[in-house]
Parts: sequence; structure tokens; C-alpha cells
Amino acid sequence: MKVLSLIIPLIFLSSFLFALVRKVKVYDSFTEGVKGAIPLIVSLFPYIAAVTMLTKLLDVSGLSAKITAWLSPVFQRLGIPGEIAPLVFMKPLSGSGSIAVLTDILENYGVDSYAARCACVAYGSSETIFYIGAVYFASLQRKKLTTALIISLLSYLLSVVLCCFLCRIM
Amino acid sequence: MNILFSCIFLLATLFLLFLNPEGFLSALLDGASKSGAICLSLLATYSVWLGLMKVWEDSGVSRGVSRLLKPLVKRVFKTDDAETLDAVSMNLSVNLLGISGAATPYGIKAARLLDTSPHPEYASSMFFVLNATSIQLIPTSIIGVRVAMHSAAPTDIVIPTLITTLFSTLFAVLLTRLCIPPKKTSKTDFIPHGKGVTHNA
Repeated sequence: MKVLSLIIPLIFLSSFLFALVRKVKVYDSFTEGVKGAIPLIVSLFPYIAAVTMLTKLLDVSGLSAKITAWLSPVFQRLGIPGEIAPLVFMKPLSGSGSIAVLTDILENYGVDSYAARCACVAYGSSETIFYIGAVYFASLQRKKLTTALIISLLSYLLSVVLCCFLCRIM
Repeated sequence: MNILFSCIFLLATLFLLFLNPEGFLSALLDGASKSGAICLSLLATYSVWLGLMKVWEDSGVSRGVSRLLKPLVKRVFKTDDAETLDAVSMNLSVNLLGISGAATPYGIKAARLLDTSPHPEYASSMFFVLNATSIQLIPTSIIGVRVAMHSAAPTDIVIPTLITTLFSTLFAVLLTRLCIPPKKTSKTDFIPHGKGVTHNA
């Protein structure tokens, strides 16, 4: 895993060197890019806030413990730890919401625990399927996307099962 | 999402009403303050990567990447329109970096343009599936969150993520090819219809 930690610094090194060779004003364009982070976060904040409040409510009311208890036998059969059930349901619906749920899992079970690693990989290897359907194709009247939606959900399920299996053996 | 949010919110509140009514407001405030912390760590991640992306854009790396992707995109989406190819390639290359927030503007544009491509149903479905199954090389936001939470090995999840994404994307692409085949059109058919055709289902 030592090699992996080299990748990110090397990416930066080579990109900046290349930019300098190309006579790009690196400082100017880097800061220009960073500027874009603020509006992006501002647009995400309301959704993250709403979902963190909701998950907190679920926690305090004891509902989430009940739901996890109900679902974990089903999930266990597929090799998915019951702890990540809330994430599995949230991810196709909302990216910012599931980042909130993910942080919850990392906090509760420890960043480097099996459940947390499964959660991270599951988060990283899937996308917000319904969100993409709604936003990208909002302007189009194409009912035929149903097939694509079903295919996406199927491969999502496959990816969750696969990632839990990989986390167990790696 | 609206229905889901309302239902869960009402249900949880109802439970709390009987169990622990004092906990209600403090739970909401706790949640909100946590969202602040999450946004802060996301802000850090996005600052780093969006900064780098702008450097890439200005030094021509992004253009290079999307040019590299273009032949592949052309074959997969079966279209020749330059603007469409550009939007699709940009969307896919930003997605490879794991910043889906930044991919959205290109995605919306690409979806609109693909609708007027020679095989709108096939191309739109393929584009949707590719975006929905996520194709990323570096899960940047996850690594950011893991670093913020003091993980011992924040990049540990990169390889499993890569393998998983690869498999699920491949699976989805093959299924799409099988279920929604691009209608076979001969070359003579392909050129005159070109851009103008919109079969609205």
C-alpha cells in the first residue's frame, strides 16, 4: 500500500511541472479553481444539513437501530454487513445525504473497521442513480429510460455485494 | 426524496414524542452542526481537486484526456457530432476523478445533445448507465473524509473501489448493449438522418 500513497503527490508534481512547462500561471489558475469549491459546497449544504438532522432524529428515536435489526438477516445472506444498510438505501437517492450517513458509520464503527471500509467502497463505487436520472434527463420526455434505470439498480446491487466480498478478502 | 424525507421525519418525531420529547430539538441542532463539519471537510477536498482541475484545464491536460477518450466515446455512443462528443468526454473524464458535482453541468448538456443523436434511445440509456454506475479512478471525496477522520490507511479503499466499479460498470454496459441494441442502420441511412432525428417515445 506504500505505492498508493505515492500516487497523489506524484499526480500533483507532474501536473504542476507540466503546467509550468506550458507557461501556465499556476498560482492564478489554482486559486481560480479553488474559488469554484465555495458555490459547490453552498449548493450541497442544505441537503447535507437536512439529512444529518434526519439521521440524528432516527438515531435518537431508536428507529435506526430497529430498522438495522430487521434488515441485517437479509443483508447477511448477501454478505453485506447490516451496519451499512442505511447507506445502501441512501446512496441511489442523494449523494450529499449519503456522505452524511457515511460519516455516521465511520464515527460509530471506527474508520478502519470492516463495516466502515465496506461503506467507503460501496460509496465510492456507486452513484446517485435517481438523482442523475432526475437532473440529467429532467428536460427530456423519455420514458424508455426505465430499462436503463433497472440495469443501473441491478449493477448497483452487484457492486455492493462485490465490494463487501472484496473488503473481506483484501 | 420528498416523500421519503417526510415519512421518515414524521415517523421518527412520533417515536420521540412518546420516548424522549426533550431530545427532539437537541437532535436537530446536533445534526445541523454535524452537517457544518461535513461541509468543511468536503470544502477542503473540493478546494484541492478543483484547484488541480483548473490547472489541468489551463495547461491543456483536460483537453488531452477528453481527446483521448473521444474515439472510444464515438464508438460507444455511435455519434459523430463534435459538440456531443465534447460534452460526453468532459463529463466522463471529470467523473473519472470522482468529483461528480463538477460533472453535472457537462452531464446535463450531454444528455440534451445525445437525445438528438442517431440512436437517441440507446445513446441516452448508455450515458445514463455509465453515469449511474460511476466510473472513477480516484475516489477523492472518500479519501478526503477518511483523512479528516484520522484513518490509519486512508487510501486502502482505492483498489477495492476500482475493481468494484470496473465490474459493475462492465456488467451494466453489457446489459445495456443486450437490452437496448442500437438499431442497425446502414451508412447511407446514417448520414442523411444524422442530427435532426428525434424519435420521441
